[in-house]
Amino acid sequence: MSSAVSGYEIAGWASTRKRLLRNKMFVVGLIILGTFAVLTVIHPVLQATVWSSEPAVYHPQTGHDRTILHPSSPSLDHLLGTDPLGRDVLSLVTYGLRSTFLVAVATAVSAGIIGLAVGTSAAYFKGRPDRALTHMSDAFALLPPPLIFLIASKRGLLGPIELGLLYGSFFGLGSAAIVVRARAVAVMEKLYIDAARCAGSSPRRIIVNHVVPDVLPHVAVIVLAGVVGALVTQGFVEFMGIAEYRDGLGSLVYNALTYRMALGTGVPWSSLMAGALSISLLASSFYMISAGLREVSDPRRALRRA
Amino acid sequence: MVRFVSRRVVWSLVMLVLVASIAFFAVNILLPYDFAVGIGRRPAAVLEIREQLGLDRPIWIRWLDYLWHLMRGDLGESYGGQLGDDFGTQRVSSLLWRALPTTVTIFAFGGIVAYLIGEWFGRRIAWSRSRSFRAASSTGSVLMFTAFPPWLVFLLIYFGTDRLFQVRSAFGLGPKAFSPVPEGPLLIVLAGGLLLALAGGILLKGWAHKRDRRVLAVAAVPACIAGFLAVLPLVGVWAEAIDILLWPSAVMAMLALVLIATGENMLVMRAGVSAEMPEDYVLTARAKGVPERLIRDRHVAPNAVIPAITRLITSVPYLIAGLIIIERELRLDGVANLFFQAIEAADVPIIVGILVGVGLIGLVLRIVLDMVQAQIDPRLRTEGRAV
Repeated sequence: MSSAVSGYEIAGWASTRKRLLRNKMFVVGLIILGTFAVLTVIHPVLQATVWSSEPAVYHPQTGHDRTILHPSSPSLDHLLGTDPLGRDVLSLVTYGLRSTFLVAVATAVSAGIIGLAVGTSAAYFKGRPDRALTHMSDAFALLPPPLIFLIASKRGLLGPIELGLLYGSFFGLGSAAIVVRARAVAVMEKLYIDAARCAGSSPRRIIVNHVVPDVLPHVAVIVLAGVVGALVTQGFVEFMGIAEYRDGLGSLVYNALTYRMALGTGVPWSSLMAGALSISLLASSFYMISAGLREVSDPRRALRRA
Repeated sequence: MVRFVSRRVVWSLVMLVLVASIAFFAVNILLPYDFAVGIGRRPAAVLEIREQLGLDRPIWIRWLDYLWHLMRGDLGESYGGQLGDDFGTQRVSSLLWRALPTTVTIFAFGGIVAYLIGEWFGRRIAWSRSRSFRAASSTGSVLMFTAFPPWLVFLLIYFGTDRLFQVRSAFGLGPKAFSPVPEGPLLIVLAGGLLLALAGGILLKGWAHKRDRRVLAVAAVPACIAGFLAVLPLVGVWAEAIDILLWPSAVMAMLALVLIATGENMLVMRAGVSAEMPEDYVLTARAKGVPERLIRDRHVAPNAVIPAITRLITSVPYLIAGLIIIERELRLDGVANLFFQAIEAADVPIIVGILVGVGLIGLVLRIVLDMVQAQIDPRLRTEGRAV
């Protein structure tokens, strides 16, 4: 029996993957995300090889190129120019992406797991537990996670992972759980759930083996949409300097803007644009992947394409 | 309908208590005693302040105390106010009331304008056959939606200030620094009047759509706003009113909000319309020879509007977060800026008060949403429980 089931699943996945790869939003989002992931990963590599000159010109905190005036526009030595403090913008961006990615991953994982757990158990244990969990999710959905994130960052003790986990748990208990529950309720009506119950499966087994795989694409859609908010909020926090973030993408934008305000001179466009567009592009890559997944997993569209 | 609404109101009160409890515990756990600790206070002074603010009591007693006050519509006093240093007044509710007109004006006006633009464009994008147009507009709206607000505000100030001053001088007004909008009855009257004009315009537009009067449908909203503005000189407040309407900070804040929210609305409306396109009723209408424009506007759009409105209303709390930067950068005295100052000062009662306020606005909007949905979608118009 198990081989037949897995064969069926592989066939379903193959057609889904084909449809996903035909979806432009999804592919573009994936390419942008991949580019940023590569940039993040190569930072330590570049630091050890190409950027290893002494004195450290390319160090993300202390680097300074004495041969030119700062801020400078893009050149061969500094592909994205240098910021008002004389640091290499490309090095800063790749270094700052690290904490941004940590927030994204922590948010996605915690929101996904919590949303799945709350949403599927509400749908499985109908009646009173369902009502209690639904009201709780409604209440959490009324408290915007970005505001909680901002409050938490005030303490300055929480790193990107903790802040991401906090954002993710508020998002998971609220919006994600509501979406998951709505889908899981529909899944619970299907015959194979009854069959599994008759075969004597435990609630945990039914939820994990039968309900979760069905709602997984919808969880991905809502969780990735939540990551967009987490990334922009993380940018805020770095920008406002509430938390102990000094080398994030948001602080790159902040440094560029304060420099202009302090000296009243031209705008250091290279560091301003690099910081702001990195946040924006990274967030939009998550949005595009989410939108692509949503389009592909929408049964009405699948019907039309078939 | 009355029974439905009254049930929703009672439920909303229960939800409000739940929201207030979550907010209370979240903020108190995330910011324990930060206010009392302060910078450079001696431990003895910290203990004294803690006692003075009642922070020495266990958290659950403070929670019950807070709920007890909340039931009577009292959001408490700010820590700063209780100790008599900053924020001037003590009541959180009066702080909120003072900050509310600016934020609500920017928010409601920006939100509605963004919705109208987004809805108009989204419909056309989804219907368009041109691939390059669709790709370009999708990319544009995704980038608008995910734009980093501080950067967006900066670009607006950098490139827009001169234009705005030109507009101001056309109305005989001089340039002005970015500063808070002056409070007073005029601001509230203007905000209320503009919103009423917008609402009237939207209603008129809906009526015109039903009768298929295209010119009236397009002109309805601008005409209503122009009508409201035309009343101002008659009452003799034209000069002051136009100064407030063209106040640099307010205009820039609205533009920023419109840019951010329009992207989202366009995306949602586009997704809604293209999800409806494969439906059978579209095929039937085409087979009957109904013009494409009518299929789009009369058959598909009403179905696609519901998710768009839902999305807009549920995204209100998120937009408030975006507003923090906008208000702070433009030096506006709104709720979002108050929130930021309260975080900086770790003034817990103000923070919790604002979160409760955001929750309350969300709850009210949901009731409104349910009523609007029941109006739009006849399937939901049943007695008792609406989904």
